[in-house]
Order: sequence, then C-alpha cells, then structure tokens
Amino acid sequence: MEVSLAVPPDAVFIVLTVITLLAAILALQAKELIYGAIALGVSFIGIAGFFILLDAPYLAMLQIAIYVGAVVVLILFTIMLVRRDVGEEVVERGERGESAAGLWIAGLLAVAIAGVAALAGPNLASSPPPGVLSVSDLGPVLVTEYPVPLIILALLLSAALLGALMLAKVER
Amino acid sequence: MVALVSYIIVSAALLGIGIYGLSVKRNAIRILFAVEIIVNAANINFAAFTRYLNPPGVTGQVIVFYSIAASAMEAAVGLALILVAFRLNSSIDVRKMDKLKG
Repeated sequence: MEVSLAVPPDAVFIVLTVITLLAAILALQAKELIYGAIALGVSFIGIAGFFILLDAPYLAMLQIAIYVGAVVVLILFTIMLVRRDVGEEVVERGERGESAAGLWIAGLLAVAIAGVAALAGPNLASSPPPGVLSVSDLGPVLVTEYPVPLIILALLLSAALLGALMLAKVER
Repeated sequence: MVALVSYIIVSAALLGIGIYGLSVKRNAIRILFAVEIIVNAANINFAAFTRYLNPPGVTGQVIVFYSIAASAMEAAVGLALILVAFRLNSSIDVRKMDKLKG
C-alpha cells in the first residue's frame, strides 16, 4: 500500500530553513560555548535534511556521520579540554562595538547574493527535473571519472591526521 | 515544488551568518564554527545546482563529498592548533594571539 507523504515539500523546506538558520545563529550567539556546539550539530542535521530534499541521500548520510558524528564531537572534546578559560565573559568582552559593523557587512553581502539570485530567478529552473538519483549512481562516477582527486584526498587526509597528531603532541 | 532560488537564498543567509561570526567573534572555537557554516552554505549550493541544472549528473555531489572530507580535516587541524594556542597562551582569544606583532 502506497503511503503518500502528507506534507508538501514546500512545508518541509520552510521548516528546515527555520531550523537551520536559527541553529546557526544560536551556534554563534549562545552564551555557553557548549550549547553553541550542540546548536551547530542541529544546524548540520538541518543541512542533511536539505540534501535529502535534493535527492542526495548519500550526502545526507555523510553529513550526519562526519559533521554531527565526528566534527561536533571533536569540538565538544576540545571545549572540555580548554574549558577553564573559555568562559564567555572573558572572551566576548569588547565585541559589542564590532558586532554592528560585522552585521552590516554580512547582511549586505547576503542580501546582494540573494538579490542577484532572485533577479535571475526566471532564468533558473523553478522545479527540479524528474529523475531520481540513487546512491549507486555516485560510486561509479567517483572511482571512474574522478579517481585522482580521490587518491589526493586520501593522501591529504593522512597528512592532516599526522599533522594534527604532531601539533597536539605534548613535548616532554 | 521548491525553486532553485530558495536554496540559493538559504545558502546566502548561511554565508552571511558565517561571515558575521568570522568578523566579529574573538573566541577561536567560535571562528571555527563560522568557517564550518560557510563551508556548509557552499555545499548546499553545489547539491542544489547539480540537482536542478545537471539532472542525471552527480558531479556536484562528488564535489560536496570532497568538500565534506576536506572540511573535516580542516576542523581536526584547526582544533589541534587551538589546543596548542591554548597551551602557549592559556587563552583562545584570537585578539591576544599577537606574539609575532612587532
């Protein structure tokens, strides 16, 4: 029996937008850094939702596994390691004067990009063309069309791992 | 259906939030948050454009795959740097990291 999706994609999109943007703002503005890290994780989950809407389930899985599973946990560990001194009142003092300027720059840039996109709107596709991409479409492309970037990525990953280990090693 | 423009606008808003954090925050970990948000804004654009304008192709998804891996290692190295900076300065305020200043 076919179970039809009760909610239209538009509603899902709006809910995801609200969650993602609010969580991103909260990640930067939360008083406690640790709540900020958790809000960042929520924002990443919202972006994984966008990937599902865009027919990219593999990317959504990757997003949750790598960002929510690894990056956010790493950030939480770092916060706990440096905890003593990252009390926000120590660090965030003196930010008030700069926040207005930063808000202007960021707001103008975002409005400019959104405005250009909206002006070009009629030329851009208004609805996605039919045809569902599956995870199995991605694998062959990855290893037949782009094998060299994949190998470079693997080398880069090991280099970054070694570099992070060397940096974090305590000299004695 | 959701139009392509909507994804671009969401991505632009995320970019704005990220740039605000990058230019205003003084806590090194917060700046790392902002960088991750900006990378994710770019990823949404890649996934949306490849879905709407290049239907059977998955090139954009491949690029997002690389981008996610690259930003994961960037976070690992960045956090290691923050740990070292904390050990040296006992602070992660980026405005206090001025040992190289003449």
